Amino acid sequence: MSVFSPLSDQDCAFFDMAQQRNVIFYHMGYFSHSIVAAMAEVVKLQLEVSGVSGPTRRKLFSSFVELSQNIIHYSSDSLPPGQDNGALRQGAVCITANPEGHLMLCANPIATSDVGALREKLEPLRDMTLEQIKLAYKASLRAETPVDSKGAGLGFLTMARDASAPLEFAFHPRADDPDSTLFCLKAII
Amino acid sequence: MDNLHIAATATSPEVDFRFDQHLLSLKGESYPENAAAFYAPIIGHLREYLTSCEGVAITANVALAYFNSSSTKMLFSIFDALDRSVQSGNTVQMNWYHDEEDETIFEFGEELQADFKAIDFTDHPVSTQ
Repeated sequence: MSVFSPLSDQDCAFFDMAQQRNVIFYHMGYFSHSIVAAMAEVVKLQLEVSGVSGPTRRKLFSSFVELSQNIIHYSSDSLPPGQDNGALRQGAVCITANPEGHLMLCANPIATSDVGALREKLEPLRDMTLEQIKLAYKASLRAETPVDSKGAGLGFLTMARDASAPLEFAFHPRADDPDSTLFCLKAII
Repeated sequence: MDNLHIAATATSPEVDFRFDQHLLSLKGESYPENAAAFYAPIIGHLREYLTSCEGVAITANVALAYFNSSSTKMLFSIFDALDRSVQSGNTVQMNWYHDEEDETIFEFGEELQADFKAIDFTDHPVSTQ
């Protein structure tokens, strides 16, 4: 005998909160190139439909791709390569639409040993003016690519250039795994 | 040498290098999984072609709606190669197409102009309805 039970407040809690917080995109799970490409399509469409201006849409899309690809390349939590030998790594990204702008949050585990280097890259950006960021971007563009970089080292500068406030970041140690640290990044566009 | 044609994908541009016509085109979006791996062979072919060019009028049409940070660096290498080829008596006419509202791509075009003065650069803002 089946019992019909209506959805309780508990069931709807996540959806309600997401709506209250104006969440326009959320993914927690694995990131691979094809997954990111598909999510990029979703984000693109969502922004078009919600009437966001062209320049802002472009900046949001760009930041979304940069941080998602960072997760693919640098997250320390990964499944073994799949059949296509592509990277498959764990992380989370959330985009909300707020009065002061769009907020893009992402989180992914990194090797604790990498925290220092990452902090060194991000800390200087906090105190830079937009002009300084643009100059640093131009310099980085013309410089040699660092050995350990799968990209150009330009990713954070690209995001910082498009953001309307300095990029915020935090490192949270993980109680269950001292070799791993949770890296969180926040961008307002 | 053979012309180079690579079809566009959702995350990589169409590469249409017609070496026999001295007409090189890049069109679409660029955020491939590994930009270095995607562009290295393209740059290799381009350099091979340019080595054989002397006193040739080359036209490059670039219409990229978006490129990620790692593509940006590779693109810079492509334009650097084109710029150097002018030393062998070639001319490079570059047509830079972009959405008229797209500041980022317009500014990148300006960067290219500033760094690669030997290239004959024309900005083409395109209006999208």
